[in-house]
Amino acid sequence: MQITIKIFRYNPEKDKKPRYESYKLEAVETDRVLDLLEKVKGYQDGTLSFRRSCAHGICGSDAMRINGFNRLACKTLVRDTGAKITVEPILGLKVIKDLIVDMEPFFENFRSVIPYFVNDEPEPAQERLQSPEQRERFDDTTKCILCACCTTSCPSFWANEQYLGPAAIVNAHRFIFDSRDRAAAERLKILNDIFGIHRCHTIFNCTLACPREIQVTKAIGEVKKAIVTGSLE
Amino acid sequence: MGLKRNVGLIEGLRYQGKGPMLTYILHRIGGLAIVIFVAVHILSSYFGGNIGIFFNTFYMHWAFQIFIFFCALFHAINGLRIVILDLWPKLIEHQREAIWVEWAVFLPIYAIAVFVIARTALGG
Repeated sequence: MQITIKIFRYNPEKDKKPRYESYKLEAVETDRVLDLLEKVKGYQDGTLSFRRSCAHGICGSDAMRINGFNRLACKTLVRDTGAKITVEPILGLKVIKDLIVDMEPFFENFRSVIPYFVNDEPEPAQERLQSPEQRERFDDTTKCILCACCTTSCPSFWANEQYLGPAAIVNAHRFIFDSRDRAAAERLKILNDIFGIHRCHTIFNCTLACPREIQVTKAIGEVKKAIVTGSLE
Repeated sequence: MGLKRNVGLIEGLRYQGKGPMLTYILHRIGGLAIVIFVAVHILSSYFGGNIGIFFNTFYMHWAFQIFIFFCALFHAINGLRIVILDLWPKLIEHQREAIWVEWAVFLPIYAIAVFVIARTALGG
């Protein structure tokens, strides 16, 4: 089948304003949008710029707006998009070139929630034990790949990039509810900030956009409840 | 380096967030409409006279009442859905169903209200 792919283009060294360029190419239904971008770059226009790495939905490099909705290009098939495809960069971050955005504000928010294990107690002789139920408590939020699909689909983040955003909260959730961790109170204090969790208006764009199908809004709701009640139960 | 943040009102509205995004937008429009409705009420009482009568005819018009009832009712029911989900995060897994329930509650009430307002306006 013939596909028309319309791509957001912007080269800060040449263009005053962004523009869209359309490319026609042959594809099959099982091609991914990433394959189409590779074909365009390889055979039609070598100046096209986009991020990609593993191409298997693990690294989270190729998050972009495909037909107006945040997705990973490597997990989006032509049969789900139709023959006319529009590809644009994710919203709320500065465009560096074409589909590449400056991810630094996103990672700055991520780093601010202490997204790593904290426990200064003396190490036990063997591993720190945890029951299957305790592990299950934060299992969903361990799946985050930091692709930014959720954060850049959030109207609260669009309004203000200082808002920590769903991805940072999901990664805080992963450690807050880990029974071995000891920095939950500190993280909850950070999330209780004016640009913290209360900017979430339970819109659900993040949950729909997540390519790992994490229940993002549910995780945010659990953290909200922990802040209000002061309990991790 | 590069563009400024690539988001504005139009870009935001173009985002294809489906059902949840629609409820979010309608909730904001509803809130704004309620503020305008209350403001017109206050201005009507404040100015009185011909200006007050003008404001009165504006917000008492049946078409405006149908519009404002949509805004107020949707804002209330959607707000209730969000409050319930915020208070009981476990229910968030059923957010799709919650939106369907919201529309199932909203549409019959709104349809009855539109029928009553229209029938009254048309002298029925």
